Amino acid sequence: MKNIKEIFKRNPNKIKESKLDTSLVVVNIVLLVLFMIVIIFPLLNFFSLSINDYRRNGDVILFPVKLSGFGFRTVFKGSEAAHLWRAFGNSVIITIVITIGSNLVEAMAAYPLSKRDCPLRGGIMMYFIITMLFSAGTAPIYLLMRQFNLTDNIWSCILISISNVGNLLYFKVFFEGLPKDIEDSARLDGASEIQMFFRIVIPMSLPVIGSCCFFSMVGAWNGYGSALLFINPNKFDAFPLAYYLYLLNERLSTSKVEEILMGRKNIEAAAMIVSIIPIIACYPYVIRYIKGGLMIGSVKE
Amino acid sequence: MENDVMEQEKADALQLSAPSELSEIEKAESVLGIDRSLFEEPKFWSLQKKRFIKYRKVLWFIIPAALFSLIFSYIPMLGVVFAFKDPGHFNLYRYDLWHELTNGYWTINNFGNIFNDKFFVSVGNTLLINVIKLVICFPLSIFIAVQLSELKSQTMAKVVLIVICIPNFLSWAVVIATWAGLLDGDGGALNTLLVTLKFNSPNHPLMQEAGLYKFFVIFLSAWKGAGWGCIMFYAGIIAIDKSFYESATLEGANRLHKMWYLTIPMIIPTIALMLVLNISGMLATGLEVVLPLFDMILADEAQLTLDVYLYDITIVNQNIPMAATLGVFNGLVGLTLMIVGNLVTTKTLHRGLW
Repeated sequence: MKNIKEIFKRNPNKIKESKLDTSLVVVNIVLLVLFMIVIIFPLLNFFSLSINDYRRNGDVILFPVKLSGFGFRTVFKGSEAAHLWRAFGNSVIITIVITIGSNLVEAMAAYPLSKRDCPLRGGIMMYFIITMLFSAGTAPIYLLMRQFNLTDNIWSCILISISNVGNLLYFKVFFEGLPKDIEDSARLDGASEIQMFFRIVIPMSLPVIGSCCFFSMVGAWNGYGSALLFINPNKFDAFPLAYYLYLLNERLSTSKVEEILMGRKNIEAAAMIVSIIPIIACYPYVIRYIKGGLMIGSVKE
Repeated sequence: MENDVMEQEKADALQLSAPSELSEIEKAESVLGIDRSLFEEPKFWSLQKKRFIKYRKVLWFIIPAALFSLIFSYIPMLGVVFAFKDPGHFNLYRYDLWHELTNGYWTINNFGNIFNDKFFVSVGNTLLINVIKLVICFPLSIFIAVQLSELKSQTMAKVVLIVICIPNFLSWAVVIATWAGLLDGDGGALNTLLVTLKFNSPNHPLMQEAGLYKFFVIFLSAWKGAGWGCIMFYAGIIAIDKSFYESATLEGANRLHKMWYLTIPMIIPTIALMLVLNISGMLATGLEVVLPLFDMILADEAQLTLDVYLYDITIVNQNIPMAATLGVFNGLVGLTLMIVGNLVTTKTLHRGLW
C-alpha cells in the first residue's frame, strides 16, 4: 500500500511540464508566427501594389497608400487586355484538357493493373516505370514536337503533360485497397466491367482522384517549362498564362508609353493577381480532398 | 531398436509404393478419362492466355496510357542516337526523324566535346545549389512539420498549414515578380528597410547582383517549397499513435526528448523516400526558377546552371547533337543517383524506394 502511494506521489511531479517545455511552447509559437509573416508579408505587399497609385509605389509597405485602378484598368481594358485574355483562354484550355485527360488515362490504365491476376502485370508495370527512371532529355522531345509541327502551338504543352506515371502508381495502390465485396456484388447485379469502373471504382476513389486532379490543375496552370521549350516568345496566340506573365516585365520595361513604363510594377501585379484568382477559388473546395489523398501518399506499399 | 525397425519398414514401403502406385493411378486416369494437365501448375503463356480471356473487356484501358508513354517517352529515347551525330552536318530545318535515325554522319566526339569549361562551371553551380538545398531546405521542412505537430490546437495548426502552403500554388513567375518588387532598387519595401539598416546602398537591386544569384535560387525555392514539403512529414507525424507520447511522458521525457527520440524516428520511412527523390534530382534545378533569375543578372556565365546551359544549347543555339549528348549524360547520372541514393537509404535508414 505504501509503495503505491509513493508512486502516485512521485509521478505528478514528473508529468508536470518543466521550465524547458514551457519555453519550448513559446519558441514554437514564435517560430510559426515568424514563418507565417515571411509568407504573408511579400504577398500582401504585392497585392497592395496592384491597387496602388504608381506615383507613390515607394511608400507601400503592407497596405496601399493611395488607391488607384490603374493596374487593373490596363489589364482589363488597356493595351494589355488582348494579350492577357488570349493567354488566359489558352491556359483554361490547357488546364482542363490536361486535368481531365491525364487523370482519366492514368486511372483507366491503373484499373486492370490493380488486379492481382492481370496478364503480364509485372511486364506492363516495368514498361511504365522505366519512363520514370530514365528520360532522354529535352532535345529529342523538342525534335519530336517539330516533327509533328506542334511547336508554337498549345497542344505541345498539353500532350507532353498527359503521361504521368506517378499518378498511375498512386491510383494502382489505391484501387488495390478497395474492398473486393462491392465489386463482386456489382458483378452479381449484372454490371459490365466498364460500368464497374465508371460507376463504382471512380466514385469510391474520389478523394485520391480529386487531389491528383487538383495537383494536375495547379501544375498545368502555373507551369511554363514546356512553353519555354516549344513556344517562340513572339507567338502571342499560343502563350499559356504563366509564360505570358514570365515575359510581361521585360515587355513592359521596353514600352514607349511613359505611364506604362512608370506603372509597370502595378500592371504586373494586377495581371498576376488575375492569374491567381482561379487557384484561390478552388483552394477551399479541394483542401478537404487533399487530406485524404495525402494519407495514401505517406504510406509506403 | 524400435526406431530402427520403423525406419526399415518406412524405407520398404517407399520402395514398394513408388513405381507400382503411380502406374495404378495412371491406369485409373486412363480408364476414367481424366486430363492430368488440369492438376499440374499451368505453363506461363497458357496462364497468361487464360487471364487475358478473363480480363479481355478491361485490358484495352491500358492502351491510351501505354501509347502516350510510347510516343512521349520511348520514341524520344531513340533520340539518344542524335548524341552520335556530327553537329556540323545536322541541319535542323531540313531534318527528318527517320532519315536521321538511319543514316548521316556518325561520330563519338560529342562525348569528349561536352566536357568544356561551361559544362564544368554549370555542373559545379548546380551541385552547390542542390547540396545546400538538401542541407538547409530539406531539414527545414521536417523542422516546420515537427513544430506544427507540437501545436496543441488543431484549428491553429490547420490555419498555419494553409498559409504556409500558399506559395507552392503560385507560379514561379509570380514568386519571382513578388520578390523582385520587394527588393526593387527604386522603392521596394524590403530594399528600403535594408537601406535604412545600412545593409544595402540605395538604387542597388539585390536580385541583379550576380554574386547573390545562388542565394536567391535557394531562398526562393525554400520560400515556395518548404511549407508544402512539410505536408508529407506532417501527415506522417499525425499518424503516429498518441499512446507512444503518453508512455514517453510517463517515463519522464520532455518535449525535446519526444521530438528527437520519438517523432523523428517514426517518420524515417517518409524521410528516406523524400531523400532518395531529392538526391536523384541532384542535377536539376528547375528551369522555371533559374532562367528568370539568370536573365535578371544579365546572363553572367559564371553563374550558369545545367538546366540553363541545356536550354541554351537546345533552344537558343539549336545545337541538337550536343544537347542530346548532354541529355544522355544527365539521364544516366540521374538514374545512377537514384540507384545509389536508394542503396544508401536502404543501408542506413533501412528504407528505400523499392
